Amino acid sequence: MTTLDRRGLLRLGGALTVGAGLAACSGTGTGTDGGGAGDPRKGEITVWSWQGPAAQLKALLPEFNKTYPDIKVTVQDIGNPAIWDKITTGLAAGGSGLADVLHIGVDYLPGYVEKFPTGLADLGPLGANKHKDAFAQGLWQTVAPKGRVNALPWEANSGGFYYRADLFEKAGVDVESLGTWDEVIEAGKKLKAATGAHLLGIDKPASQPDAANFFQLLLQLQGKFYFDLAGAITLDSPEAVTALTLIKKMNDAGLVSDLSGGWSALENSIKQGTAAVLPWPTWFGGIIEGLVPQEAGKWKVRLPPAVRRGGATAATVNSTHLAIAGSSKQQAAAWTFIEYVLTKPSSQVAIYRGKGIAPALMAAYEDSVFHEPSAFFSGQKKGEIFLGALKAPSPAFNYSADYARALKVVTDAQTKVLLKGADPAEVLKQAADQLAQQTGRKVVR
Amino acid sequence: MTRRTMPYLFVLPAVLLFAAFKLYPILASFRLSLYKQSGGVETFAGLDNYARLLDDSLFWTALGNSAVILAVQVPLMLALATGLAVAFNSRLLKARSVFRLGFFLPMITGLVAYGIVFSVLLNQQYGLVNWLLGSDIPWLTDPLLAKVSLGLALTWHYTGYNAVILLARLQTVPTELYDAAAVDGAGAWRAFRHVTLPGLRPALLLTTVLSTIGTLQLFDEPYVLTGGGPDNATLTIGMYLYQNAFKYFDFGYASAIAYALALLIGALGLLQFKVLGGKS
Repeated sequence: MTTLDRRGLLRLGGALTVGAGLAACSGTGTGTDGGGAGDPRKGEITVWSWQGPAAQLKALLPEFNKTYPDIKVTVQDIGNPAIWDKITTGLAAGGSGLADVLHIGVDYLPGYVEKFPTGLADLGPLGANKHKDAFAQGLWQTVAPKGRVNALPWEANSGGFYYRADLFEKAGVDVESLGTWDEVIEAGKKLKAATGAHLLGIDKPASQPDAANFFQLLLQLQGKFYFDLAGAITLDSPEAVTALTLIKKMNDAGLVSDLSGGWSALENSIKQGTAAVLPWPTWFGGIIEGLVPQEAGKWKVRLPPAVRRGGATAATVNSTHLAIAGSSKQQAAAWTFIEYVLTKPSSQVAIYRGKGIAPALMAAYEDSVFHEPSAFFSGQKKGEIFLGALKAPSPAFNYSADYARALKVVTDAQTKVLLKGADPAEVLKQAADQLAQQTGRKVVR
Repeated sequence: MTRRTMPYLFVLPAVLLFAAFKLYPILASFRLSLYKQSGGVETFAGLDNYARLLDDSLFWTALGNSAVILAVQVPLMLALATGLAVAFNSRLLKARSVFRLGFFLPMITGLVAYGIVFSVLLNQQYGLVNWLLGSDIPWLTDPLLAKVSLGLALTWHYTGYNAVILLARLQTVPTELYDAAAVDGAGAWRAFRHVTLPGLRPALLLTTVLSTIGTLQLFDEPYVLTGGGPDNATLTIGMYLYQNAFKYFDFGYASAIAYALALLIGALGLLQFKVLGGKS
């Protein structure tokens, strides 16, 4: 046993402490960009996704490994929303512990890119630019706003208008003829009188951020968003006031059921038939079909009416993407996987067949599956309806790094309107000012 | 290695672990609170993040919500806990240990688990409580009732825990004091006021300080039960801190909130020691 005096021992302790501190410090960088790209045909990669999409990625693996037997892919279902906290902490820790491939929604991608500029690899040098024109309009602007390709688009969801055709029929309303949301409100009154069903449901106290989905759809149908393309706040634009006023009108007329409690409340509402319209995006059709299969033939789908007569009825309301972690040592192999999944029509068609996830890849829509009549949706060609929306002119929306903050002030404003009858213009002005105070961004009025 | 240095060797692992996993994060978050991050670049911001707190209406809303819980729920809960502790101590009560266990049991329930249970119980449309009452009370969706619901959940969870601490102290109060009080003609209420309460003072101080810290750091319950809503009626400082760090990636500001919170807890704790501590 070596002898160590007290001073020596303290010195050793101090050195170890500093060492531990430095070791921890070294993890706080912002990751490396590119670098060890690795071998495009060989390697072991991990993929993070959630629920349905994760299952569909797993299902693709046997086919993928026929072409690339030396790339071992492990798909992990992290769950949504848990995946966002996991990616955030990984990026904040300089990329340590992150998977090679990350599935990221449009609501998080700009924030990650701005806060952690090298946290995600630039896919350009790996070969992404050649696929630039392969995706639905506006999406390249989302994944590569400044030329650097931060991710590749996967699903592109357009706003939809799913409705209970049987209930509207009972009320004597021809839904296809409804041209504006004001007409929908009038139809909703007839519907309520004839059937007792609400027009639609909103999570009034905003127990989940999803609560603002409908407001956001109404805003996007008018080509506007919470921020303009330069990043200034446009939260209290006349279009936003119009959108929230429409919601207030519906609520004041008793046409809005409360979906507080988030997803489970929404599911219960569909099962109990409390609302006749579900203004949800493309992917939601599969959810309805799964929840109430016995109601086949009672449901129909169309694109949402315009906010103003003659206005747009198509908007890409959200998208998800696959990115590669900047810290990944297997970036080339990860790119091989992403390219296989996202740019090969057969991969996207398989995923659509499995879970109804709508591809951003336009070539995928040549497959017959998008042109078949749907038994559940009264024989309609649902795929074609949404394909029409994807092909329609659709502006790019700037989610910005402060989308989460914007969403919070928007849901609070909507809650004030729905629960306390507040004035839409006033609450939106307050929300815009609050957002400006929090973010240092300017409000454009 | 000598007899005198040996103890240092024994505490070294604990010191190292403390330094790496407690001291370092505490110091690093203080450093972080002085920085701003934009476009991946950190810039020294001095006290800007702290100054921002003063103008941030949501921070004040969160602070106000925590203050309401502190002013209403904590005293009610501690009064209830004191009553329970006296009852648990009473020889008149049969099967005392069963009652003690029963009231303490909520404490071992996972925070998130009981939050979910309460959110299911209190759901306006499908909740058991409204079903039993035959009512349509918006427990979690009305701003005031959401605060009440949060208070109910906290009371259910922590009353037994505080009662057990108070009971432990109560058992150290000499029975002779009660006998003497009885001989002097004191009734039950006077004995409680002049013997039980002074005897309980150190434990009351402890439970008050612990409850204050717990309330100001409140996160799990509002996160699961109400998500801080509706319209921020149940937003707590802990939740706001979390949102800034992990939803808005604003780690500098979140760290400033954390330090403001720590200062507040320190100041309140000191005040409580001064007021309740007395001369001992």
